[in-house]
Amino acid sequence: MKALAYLCLGLCALVFGCRKEYEVLVPYQFVSLPGAGLFSTTTRRAMEGVYAVTNGADRFGSQVALKWTYTLEGADTTFFLSIFTGQDAAFFNMEGRPDSDSLVLAGFWRKLVNTETGQARLTLQVRRNGQTRVYSGRLTPGDTLSLEGAYGDNTAQPTRPLTLLYQRPLNPAPYEILAHRAGGRTSDLLPVSENSIDMIKLASRLGATGVEIDVRYTKDGVPILYHDNKLNLRLIQKNGLIGAVEEYTYQQLSAHVRLINGEKIPTLEEALETVIANTTLRFVWLDTKYIGPMDKVQAIQQTYRQRAIQARRDLRIVIGLPSTEAVEAYRALANKENTPILCELDTAVTRSLNARIWAPRWTLGPQTAEVKAMQAENRTVFVWTLDEPQFIQQYISEGQFDGILSNYSTLVAYYHYTRQP
Amino acid sequence: MKLSNVVRRSAELFFVFMLNGAAWAQVERNTDSTAYERGPYTVVVSVGGGLSYYAMALGIPVELEGGRRNRVGVPATVRVMWHPDHRLRLGLESGYVPMYGYRGQVNGLPSKVTVSSVPVLLVWSMPLAWLSGTERSLARRLSLAAGTGAYFITSRLDYAGTVNGRTTSLGWMAAGSYTQPINRTLRAAVELKWYNSVATDDATFAVQLQLVWRALSW
Repeated sequence: MKALAYLCLGLCALVFGCRKEYEVLVPYQFVSLPGAGLFSTTTRRAMEGVYAVTNGADRFGSQVALKWTYTLEGADTTFFLSIFTGQDAAFFNMEGRPDSDSLVLAGFWRKLVNTETGQARLTLQVRRNGQTRVYSGRLTPGDTLSLEGAYGDNTAQPTRPLTLLYQRPLNPAPYEILAHRAGGRTSDLLPVSENSIDMIKLASRLGATGVEIDVRYTKDGVPILYHDNKLNLRLIQKNGLIGAVEEYTYQQLSAHVRLINGEKIPTLEEALETVIANTTLRFVWLDTKYIGPMDKVQAIQQTYRQRAIQARRDLRIVIGLPSTEAVEAYRALANKENTPILCELDTAVTRSLNARIWAPRWTLGPQTAEVKAMQAENRTVFVWTLDEPQFIQQYISEGQFDGILSNYSTLVAYYHYTRQP
Repeated sequence: MKLSNVVRRSAELFFVFMLNGAAWAQVERNTDSTAYERGPYTVVVSVGGGLSYYAMALGIPVELEGGRRNRVGVPATVRVMWHPDHRLRLGLESGYVPMYGYRGQVNGLPSKVTVSSVPVLLVWSMPLAWLSGTERSLARRLSLAAGTGAYFITSRLDYAGTVNGRTTSLGWMAAGSYTQPINRTLRAAVELKWYNSVATDDATFAVQLQLVWRALSW
């Protein structure tokens, strides 16, 4: 009997102890043609807002926020519609279908807290007195915009009804929605890798107004984006290389290492060039993961701040100081002019550095008195890295922070845009 | 399912079987009629070497041109086991286990990567038969072993310079062996082994010839 118990215990350990590998494929292939198809600027503006979910609320919650974003490729602008929900960090990414003569959107939805995903297809219409008609570009009193269509699971064709009814405009209050690791974590099974160029391009579609990126140096002193201190299979594809990132030159990494979804490890310069040339992001937080001199990062920061000014971009690039070592590296800089910083340490250190941004960790609580005191001194206060939905909701509804850094920027976007003054 | 995954799954089953076997051995002790005459106890040292074959998918950069892969290596093992007066034996094992390597050209420059490991494992082993059969019975000469511990992984990159990278991974080992007596204190053994390093997703199948020496007995 005892032996049988041991056998059962062992078999249970085998069955439940084996690591399951999760995978989420994007079930929709984007056409990504420049422009927005039939969705004119006026239409896009009219569409943005908070919508009630009348069909599909069981999967996506009772209301959602719709926002258009775009990416830039040279002179081309490509528009995407994001739908942010408050349930399971679900979001939709859609595009205007060029092969339709009506206002049709197609794309996919995904829940970040699990692996649920599927296709979606919606048509923009107008409702009036229970009647539905095609949106012609003009609304008269009594008209209500609606998006009607269907969603499906995984690669199945969308058949489950989904109906969204316009309720009110998005909350227009300024707020920074900062996406962790350039947009999201690799562990959340997004289609692109964390701290990659492609993730920076995706960040806006995930609701971000800014990104936090992790900066390290290679052996030959090239600042790159990489979170962990070692090469490992959490972040990169298997290639035989292991050990500290700092032991490899940029040439060696570039030739042999690919991030988990196949991208190269980008340099800091490539990342900032992408932010300016391809996105509408307005904030970049350079998280200091290295120990050592800060002068190279400072020089790059200043170069790209100038580039942003020349491009007439409202873009803030700040160096994050998460530790006393980083503070010392900052203090050691010969010239601190035009070097915006963000301090993650306490208010006294923030004041002593004259940092214009204070960023305490969210687990320290609302810290209402300290936050108000810092804001009274004309400092900005962000909180990091907040992924808990109830606290995201609480911190946004209380409205004291100027922004939230999160792995679930879609959720921060939902709570911010649906917040009523 | 890939063949390597099937083999690994089988090895995992074997690993669990060994742990269960260890438990059974303890259970059987309760009815051992020799319980009042403990011993003899021995310390046995095994030294071996052989051939290994890397059984997992190789990770090779897509840019590698004219690539040559090497899955075969020459592992070496040192194991010290305590053989008590019951079936379950306990000991430590270490050694050198080559994993894999590749070479070729990347962006016009020669590139060479080799990966190897030094496992340090706590090992349990158990003969298939203990009090039954004779000294010459096959079951007494066959034994199973399983171990768990750390793999100290080393990789060497030769490409525009040399980098020796190191990391540590949890891992396990499962093995089955046949032991042939040579004299009172020496035996020869053939062992089939599966080494598995978890964090680096490395696994190697090895065949080793071992010299087994009964170093201490009391």
